[in-house]
Amino acid sequence: MGSKSKWIGLIILLAVIGAAAVYLFLGGGPQPEPAVLRGYVGGEKIGLLEDEAVQDILDRNYGLTLDYAKAGSLDMVTADHEGRNFLFPSSQTALEYYQQLYGAPDRSQIVFNTPIVLYTHRPILEAFQKEGLVTERDGVYYMDMAGLVAEIEAGTAWADLGLPELYGTVAVNTTDPVRSNSGNMFAGLLANVLCGGVADEDSVEAVLPRLQAIFEKLGYMEASSSDLFDQFLKTGMGAKPMIAGYENQLLEFAVENPEDWEQLKDDIVLIYPTPTVWSSHIYIALDEAGEAGIDALMDEEIQRLAWENHGFRTEVSGTGADEDHFGVPHLAAEITQVAAMPSYAAMEKIIAALS
Amino acid sequence: MKRAVLSVCILALALILTACGPTPSDSAVSTGDSASGDHAFDYGGDVTLRILSGSENQELEGILDDFARERGVNIEMDYRGSLDIMRTLQGESIDYDAVWPASSLWLTAGDTQYRVKHTQSISITPVVFGIRQSLAEELGFVGTEVSVSDLLSAIQSGKLNFCMTSATQSNSGCSAYIGFLYALLGNPDVITSESLQTPGLSEQITQLLSGVDRSSGSSDWLKDLFLTGGYDAMVNYECLIISANQELEARGEETLYAVYPYDGLSIADSPLGYVDNGDAEKEQAFLDLQEYLLSDEVQNEIQRTGRRTGYEGVSAENADVFRADWGIQPDRVLSPIRMPSTEVLMECLNLYQTEFRKPSLTIYCLDYSGSMEGTGREQMVEAMSQILIQENAEKNLLQASEHEVNILIPFEGYPRDIYTAVGNGSELESLYTKVEAEEATGGTDIYAAATESLRQLGNYDLSQYTPAIILLTDGVSDGSIDAFQTAYEAFGADVPVFSIMFGSADPTQLEELAELTHARVFDGREDLIGAFRSVKGYN
Repeated sequence: MGSKSKWIGLIILLAVIGAAAVYLFLGGGPQPEPAVLRGYVGGEKIGLLEDEAVQDILDRNYGLTLDYAKAGSLDMVTADHEGRNFLFPSSQTALEYYQQLYGAPDRSQIVFNTPIVLYTHRPILEAFQKEGLVTERDGVYYMDMAGLVAEIEAGTAWADLGLPELYGTVAVNTTDPVRSNSGNMFAGLLANVLCGGVADEDSVEAVLPRLQAIFEKLGYMEASSSDLFDQFLKTGMGAKPMIAGYENQLLEFAVENPEDWEQLKDDIVLIYPTPTVWSSHIYIALDEAGEAGIDALMDEEIQRLAWENHGFRTEVSGTGADEDHFGVPHLAAEITQVAAMPSYAAMEKIIAALS
Repeated sequence: MKRAVLSVCILALALILTACGPTPSDSAVSTGDSASGDHAFDYGGDVTLRILSGSENQELEGILDDFARERGVNIEMDYRGSLDIMRTLQGESIDYDAVWPASSLWLTAGDTQYRVKHTQSISITPVVFGIRQSLAEELGFVGTEVSVSDLLSAIQSGKLNFCMTSATQSNSGCSAYIGFLYALLGNPDVITSESLQTPGLSEQITQLLSGVDRSSGSSDWLKDLFLTGGYDAMVNYECLIISANQELEARGEETLYAVYPYDGLSIADSPLGYVDNGDAEKEQAFLDLQEYLLSDEVQNEIQRTGRRTGYEGVSAENADVFRADWGIQPDRVLSPIRMPSTEVLMECLNLYQTEFRKPSLTIYCLDYSGSMEGTGREQMVEAMSQILIQENAEKNLLQASEHEVNILIPFEGYPRDIYTAVGNGSELESLYTKVEAEEATGGTDIYAAATESLRQLGNYDLSQYTPAIILLTDGVSDGSIDAFQTAYEAFGADVPVFSIMFGSADPTQLEELAELTHARVFDGREDLIGAFRSVKGYN
């Protein structure tokens, strides 16, 4: 192209700038600057906060922009809060930790929940069904956690369950419970199972050595839930036979990657531990400005998007049409068998034992 | 309305830019060199991604080149061992935009400050044994399941020698070593700190590692070394065994048979992650690159290089790459051993470096000619302090072991002196005082120094050591390779002469030496200390 077209381009550009100036001057201009709330967010919610539809509602209806830095749920409690308006961790434990350090926050609210689940491959599911450890009710798979823990503690080889192609003993891979929330919650769940009820500060003492032994056997653990999930999907049945993660991870993956999910859906299965625990995504307002974030996130439309696009359970979930919406078979309509997480004091002891 | 305005703007901008924008060059400007293998793809793009990567990704350069050319994103690949990558991530600031180690193990161990994000596995490849077809048949390893113990008995009986990378520098060597430990410990659920104290373990693993013919700091170079001929087997990634076989077959030579030890397998998952230094433009370029690498078309191209990609395994059309007659099992369920926790892993690696590995016998030929005077000499002394002063060496897992031998030959136009240090104690540290004391003066003759080194090596039973000559020079050498070549051929042992190029050294002279001795040249012109560390990682 010659210099002539360059000049034509420049003239068009100037004309457009002129037209745009007139357009803005005549009142088509932007809304007033939105208020920016700054805070720390657990990595599993970044997909939601980056969702343009969500950002649009926050901006349009509430005049808010959420500016975040990624941080672990417990790490963010002790991080520098200077210039931050909110924390958005993934567990109630983080709120208890916060209260212990700083007292009650300005305001806090559970925005949505997702249960801790097990992910595995079909041949492994079938092996557990044969053992009677996994049962199917209303098309949903449930794992008898006490039975599973017994197999893990006994050191049962996968080969003993009829899976000779898998090397080693039965295990559930998790993220590092000291570094990451999903692993941390799974440790809490196991403590409940070992205690035969919700573990408290006293009862947990007796089961710490067993908990340590279970985690020690896992060796190296990933630090991030999303990395563990990515490896689970990509490295095949042999590498990570069964992992613990959030229910929303698979639902979000299926919505965002429908073609990949189409290839995987005959192999990957979702099992609900009995009992499970809720990962509660709780918004903690650090100051008055931060409180505005609560009302905005509880917006009906955002609550709907959180479920439909990102798999977080809210008021709108559990309508029965969910399985079709996500294309994820064996999705539970409601999560009924849930235990509370051990108290913060008990979790502190668990973390110390696993560190 | 908004959209229409935007499209007219884009059109107008496009007209301006195409008319006066820079003309893309036809070929990439390579700032790399044959020595380190680092490579830059520069087509004049606005953004540059600096990627710290494992050497096995060198085989994907064609794919990266296409991306750089099509998208106008410059890419600089810096190849390092996995442990180096881990340490870089642990540093205060990370001078890279992305990391791409062989395994996520190193990423997780290094990224304790959570500065890496958007991590996704690009491909999968297991670490396997590649054994000459006829030898594999003779050992009864073809068409059957093989355990690590089976391999160990072949090694212990002297029927199998093999090459592997250094466990403390490279992921493939580390994976194999951990597999050996599991087998020798009787396959426990996981290796613990206590189990490393098991009586007899030290003797057994030491004996096993004495079967290592040649060590290397990088997996890709190990493959290149293997292709120079004369070796029976190597531990390496499945994809590099495939690529070695393609080369061997093209030459009409015997190919390797892949053995997957069922109780000692590990997987490299090739995670590519973004280092967040707060540059939105780079972040977008990174995400584009990642999306490109994970697109169906490119994933298939990557699969053609012998790496496992996608969720559905190796496609039928690529069966000609994953060949059954080479022992490659694309449909095998890869069921790896559990890697120990980071803490225990580091303990394993320290033991490897200081006790278990075959002791190294290293001769340092250091150029003290007149041109080294000043900063040249200072940098060389500083580099040697990183290796000889054990406190420094420990940081890079380059410590000396109890039985190793280090010999210093300072040279100019002739070898000035010979200083020998045995073990990892005071003798080694006093070797450093010699390094400090030598003056820079006189001419340069690398061949005389190298020939003297061979004479020194004649005093040792080389089967007990991993021998190497490390030669640093900054100028064109007097003499010629002929006399050295005669001496080397008469000497008749496989001793590499690694050179470190410095100042105005003549690369052709050094390449000649490397070729003759199955070694390689390291470029110390920009980072002499880094070059010394790398070369030390090769033995």
